[in-house]
Amino acid sequence: MSDIDIKRISYLAKLKLPSEKEEFYSNSLKDIIKWVDNLKKVDTSKTEPLHNVTEKTVSIRNDEVSKSNSVDDVLSNAPERAQNFFKVPKVVE
Amino acid sequence: MKNSISQIKKALIEKKISVGELYDEYLAKAKSGNNNSFNLVIDKENNISSINDSQNRYDNGNPLPLDGIPLGIKDLFCTKGIRTTASSKILSNFIPNYESFVTQQLLNDGSIFIGKNNCDEFAMGSSNETSYFGPVINPWKNKNSQKDNLVPGGSSGGSAAAVAEGSCVASMGTDTGGSIRQPASLCGIVGLKPTFGSCSRWGIVAFASSLDQAGPLTNCVEDAAYILNSINKHDFNDSTSSNHQREDYLIDINNSFEKKIKIGIPSDYLEDVSDEILNQIDNTKKALSKHGIEFVDVEFKTTEYALSTYYILAPAEASSNLARYDGVRYGVREDGESLDDIYLNSRTKGFGDEVTRRILIGAYVLSAGYYDAYYRQAQKVRRLIKNDFQRILNEVDFILTPTTPNEAFKIGDKLDPISMYKNDIYTVPTSLAGLPGISIPSGLSKNGLPLGVQFIGNYFEEKTLLQLAALAEKELSFNE
Repeated sequence: MSDIDIKRISYLAKLKLPSEKEEFYSNSLKDIIKWVDNLKKVDTSKTEPLHNVTEKTVSIRNDEVSKSNSVDDVLSNAPERAQNFFKVPKVVE
Repeated sequence: MKNSISQIKKALIEKKISVGELYDEYLAKAKSGNNNSFNLVIDKENNISSINDSQNRYDNGNPLPLDGIPLGIKDLFCTKGIRTTASSKILSNFIPNYESFVTQQLLNDGSIFIGKNNCDEFAMGSSNETSYFGPVINPWKNKNSQKDNLVPGGSSGGSAAAVAEGSCVASMGTDTGGSIRQPASLCGIVGLKPTFGSCSRWGIVAFASSLDQAGPLTNCVEDAAYILNSINKHDFNDSTSSNHQREDYLIDINNSFEKKIKIGIPSDYLEDVSDEILNQIDNTKKALSKHGIEFVDVEFKTTEYALSTYYILAPAEASSNLARYDGVRYGVREDGESLDDIYLNSRTKGFGDEVTRRILIGAYVLSAGYYDAYYRQAQKVRRLIKNDFQRILNEVDFILTPTTPNEAFKIGDKLDPISMYKNDIYTVPTSLAGLPGISIPSGLSKNGLPLGVQFIGNYFEEKTLLQLAALAEKELSFNE
């Protein structure tokens, strides 16, 4: 197992770990990755990955318009909104 | 006041109690809040129209299957107009505009929600200690150490504690790697995880989508059948919802089996277990042998890989599912100068330690260079685990295992994550295979704490699984 770059992993997860906690998470991650490393010894050369355990086909419904949430419903939990939009700081100059 | 659903319905039909009085009784207990089993309790006036409607149906002689029954709902199910937090800071202000499929079925059948049960944050935990709203306390006490507060198990710990303390008749939980069965076992009640694909995941706050499954925590097996009859339906809104024909789980539950039943006991599960746990299996075997049920030893080849597989796949799916919490559309926003700062601040401050840890594990095993070695390999091993179960279920009708490796432990006792994760050693393999499993109370430990056994059945064979569990329950029942 190679070393864990906790800064890179937390960046991928969109988390900004406080510096005093980086070591805590880094060690914890190392322990867990070491613990799950036993999977590497399993021969899976002839095994397909399993995505959906019951492997049933997805059922298809008729393509009919149905009523779902209104714009106000969707926006009702927004931390900030402006008219019919979610409001965030300016993204483009 | 541990009455079954059928006993309560009888009392309501015979007018020994009204729906309102019934609600008052359970509400008083739920409000006392001694065990922190609820994140939110619903006052009577907020349920008054449901209570009156239900009473009218009883008065008119046409009650619905769950009419007037006060239920707890794990705070992971979206409930329309009722705060739904997943026991997380990041969702602590979230009020859904829609009802989850499963809770809608329960409402359609006349039940009344008494409140939202505390749980581990985003259902990630085995002790209910990761909740933003504080740990749940197990109503049971160690008789040799009465003052210790014990964990109820997790993640449906509030549900299990609420049913055990009598503040709801039953509670809806969810199970990803044991989150219904393990707390049921530690609180001395019944917990059923149906086959993956039985009960729709629509409207349940997602943790690991290939594993999450809703199911009931109840005082008895018959109550589990009542709830399953209500919630087990096909739903187009969940692409993994199975559209097979459902059965009536209640109707034959007390019938004896028409054919000879064979149950496998996995010898590899019983290596290194304590005598106390071993006794639970032996007692169950003795009790059911009297009914002509045959027991054989079976052996899995993949058990040692189950937890590793689970702790790659579940965090991977969680890290993907929890990407939606960004402080923009719902949930708690932590301010920042840029949009990116809002994402980072909201997520970092909104998630607790265990959720952060699992997101990091997930991001790691899905990241470039590690995806094949961890995530893809785990998916392949998952198939081997499923095949292993199928091989054994070709030889036997059911599998009997302990539910947990130990009795309820003290709050704060298990500090490192791996020792916590090992609590689910008997429940995780079943979850990975997608099979149904039920935990029923089997006896008390030397410390006077409940222990449970788990029966595992074949895909979508909940009907016979409940029949078996009901039979075992009659033989093994113990008084508090």
